[in-house]
Amino acid sequence: MTTQNLAASQIEVGQHLFRFELFGMTFNGDTLLASAVAAAVLIALAFMLRAKITAGVPGGVQLFFETITGAVRSQVENLIGLRVAPFVVPLAMTLFLFILVANWLAVLPVQIGGHDFIPPPAADANFTWALALLVFIWYQVAGARRRGAGKHLVQLAKGHVAGMAPLNIIEELAKPISLSLRLFGNVFGGTIMVSLIMGMFPAYILWAPNVIWKLFDLFVGLIQAFIFALLTILYFSQSMELHEEESH
Amino acid sequence: MADINQAIIAAGAYIGGGLILGGGAIGAGIGDGIAGSQFIAGVARQPEAQGRLFLPFFITVGLVEAAYFINLAFMALIVFSQPGSGA
Repeated sequence: MTTQNLAASQIEVGQHLFRFELFGMTFNGDTLLASAVAAAVLIALAFMLRAKITAGVPGGVQLFFETITGAVRSQVENLIGLRVAPFVVPLAMTLFLFILVANWLAVLPVQIGGHDFIPPPAADANFTWALALLVFIWYQVAGARRRGAGKHLVQLAKGHVAGMAPLNIIEELAKPISLSLRLFGNVFGGTIMVSLIMGMFPAYILWAPNVIWKLFDLFVGLIQAFIFALLTILYFSQSMELHEEESH
Repeated sequence: MADINQAIIAAGAYIGGGLILGGGAIGAGIGDGIAGSQFIAGVARQPEAQGRLFLPFFITVGLVEAAYFINLAFMALIVFSQPGSGA
């Protein structure tokens, strides 16, 4: 590079390797590969836990899973109640662990010809939209089943203050949109920052700001995974609360 | 870029991207600052509450930063793939 000029056209954004078309839709192969790797890591950890589970002194993996299960169960108990919605615990745990592993895998620099072929899956908006859509449909169906479909829709429009019905509808739509874009923006911003660092610093000093930024990226990945799971539990609790309980 | 229309669209995209990021940064800064100041005030009032207050502080920071990162995502959409000109 003879020039240090970092025009926007030189930062490659949104380029995905291994794109293929199927049934008229475009699939980003590298995101699929990265999420498959993250899922495989998580399932391997779960099988390792199952093989070594003991009622005695727990080992590392079991301690890790027990901590997270305890935290998620206490959150669900506080917000909804374990008898009302016991299925939220494994859902929230899976979301948290899957997003965490997916974000943390991205610290491995696995590259082909200068392009990451295991990018962080959350840097692809399809991944985050899929997760947010899953959560959205699930809590709407759960709320409709608990309260009856008609009452559920009416309660959505009423919200906390009955007079602000249009704002309540907008807020209901904003929940899945913000859920997905929050995760996407955080991780995507991390990848843009890495490209900027590559462009700005000479090669011999490159590792220092890169390491600092990657550490911060790991931290942000953890917080965003936690917030995704916490908001999932919160949305389930809001969608499934009966009017008589009113325990917020 | 000999095409004047492309140049105008590109200029608009860059200015818009800068405004998006600027507004987002101001909002995120103010939000994080208020969250941090309440955290510090709470810890100053009751030092043993630091462990308990840590969690709501980080949750608030995560939610505030989310607004900024949503801005960033839209800036990337507008600047890098300028919709309306298909560059």
